[in-house]
Amino acid sequence: MYRLPLAAAAAVFLIAAAPADSPVGVQEPDGYWQGALHGYTPPTLKGATVVDAATLAKLVAERKPVLLDVSDLDRKPAGLPPGGLWFPVHRNIPGSTWLPGSGDGDLDASAQATLKARVAELTSGDLDRPVVTYCHPDCWGSWNLGKRLVGLGYRQVHWFPQGIDGWQEGHDTTGSRPDKQWAARPSATAGQ
Amino acid sequence: MTRQTTALLSGLALAGAISSGAANAAAGDSDAQRAERWGEIKQQIFPGQTIQPGGTAVKIEAPKRAEDASLVPITLTMPDKDKIAELSLIIDDNPTPYAAHFVFGPAADPGELKLRVRVNNYTDVHAVAKMKDGSFVESTEYVKASGGCSAPMGMSDEEAMQGMGDMRVKFGETQPGKPVPATLMIRHPNFSGMQMNQVSRDYTPARYIQKITVSYGDKSVFTMDGDISISSNPVINFAYLPEGSGPMKVTASDNQGGHWENSFPVRAASN
Repeated sequence: MYRLPLAAAAAVFLIAAAPADSPVGVQEPDGYWQGALHGYTPPTLKGATVVDAATLAKLVAERKPVLLDVSDLDRKPAGLPPGGLWFPVHRNIPGSTWLPGSGDGDLDASAQATLKARVAELTSGDLDRPVVTYCHPDCWGSWNLGKRLVGLGYRQVHWFPQGIDGWQEGHDTTGSRPDKQWAARPSATAGQ
Repeated sequence: MTRQTTALLSGLALAGAISSGAANAAAGDSDAQRAERWGEIKQQIFPGQTIQPGGTAVKIEAPKRAEDASLVPITLTMPDKDKIAELSLIIDDNPTPYAAHFVFGPAADPGELKLRVRVNNYTDVHAVAKMKDGSFVESTEYVKASGGCSAPMGMSDEEAMQGMGDMRVKFGETQPGKPVPATLMIRHPNFSGMQMNQVSRDYTPARYIQKITVSYGDKSVFTMDGDISISSNPVINFAYLPEGSGPMKVTASDNQGGHWENSFPVRAASN
């Protein structure tokens, strides 16, 4: 019953946030990016450090940052033959916590609360612990999550825009499953 | 940094990951995970079968690094072509790994096959041949490409579906008694169901070719069971034995009831 107003809101956001048609000179939006999550991203994220794969590898080796993967779950298409093999696998940077959907620009209150608690747990409540957000190239999800963490007071947020694709060029990836606590968050309409 | 220190650090990182509840699958080195996944896939596709390492029986050629992950050319070479009955192509890390299954008929020359596939992530690609004696052999190749299954086609769905089912066959040189190379091209978007329309944010429903049959005269060349891992506008290079006068008949059907047939006259061998 909440779908229609949400869809209408999304339509307004889409008009408000038209995707950039060039990778050059993309500006940071004031708030979270509310448009399609796949699209050209800005070169910067205020309050955070943008890192490339080499810098990230060094950071991982030396400071053991909390690695947050924002990638979407593979969506099972309708119309596959019954009994066919649907067997998705997700590989990411070893040691990462996979939080699919956490990069949405319009996270509801419940998701925000779960996210805040989960990141506090992963960082042991240390706002100076380095945290890295990533997904894939041209992905606003990791940008949004990075911005959200800056807003939560984390002082060493790193955004890795090359994402898994950039990492696997020179480094191993490992099979991952969605974070259980994040996946078990109460849905927005529960109890209403 | 010494090797011991590196090992110690990765051990610590592993311990940290477990104690903090990071939900990674069993940590371990990447190769072991890939081998384990291939083991699971094999169980699903070839239950109870023993598959021998292929040696030279099947060779996979793929670009080490694909320029376009939605259009990765794969060449399968089978030097012992007279012994090959069936051939399966599996892209391990695609969400639907079983990309194609070919059954060769009496008019086939299964020495070489080429096709173009979508690759979702850096992955092992496996070819499994079923020999005429019932045994199975496999070979593997690692391909670097990512995002192929969800890559949009860069045009509207309507445009992508224009002329759906149109076919062409290009015939190579015909020499008496020699196999003839041929290229089959079918216009079809082969929507994977994982491609999002960037404007509407809707997913285009999966619409893909499930079966292709090619015959020459009254003999089968091959049948292919396909899947969403086959690139849009499928192109398949194969070879056939030109005994008799043809024609070459091609049928294709998709998962939404689309069915197309065409017949192609064959130039006679020049003596």
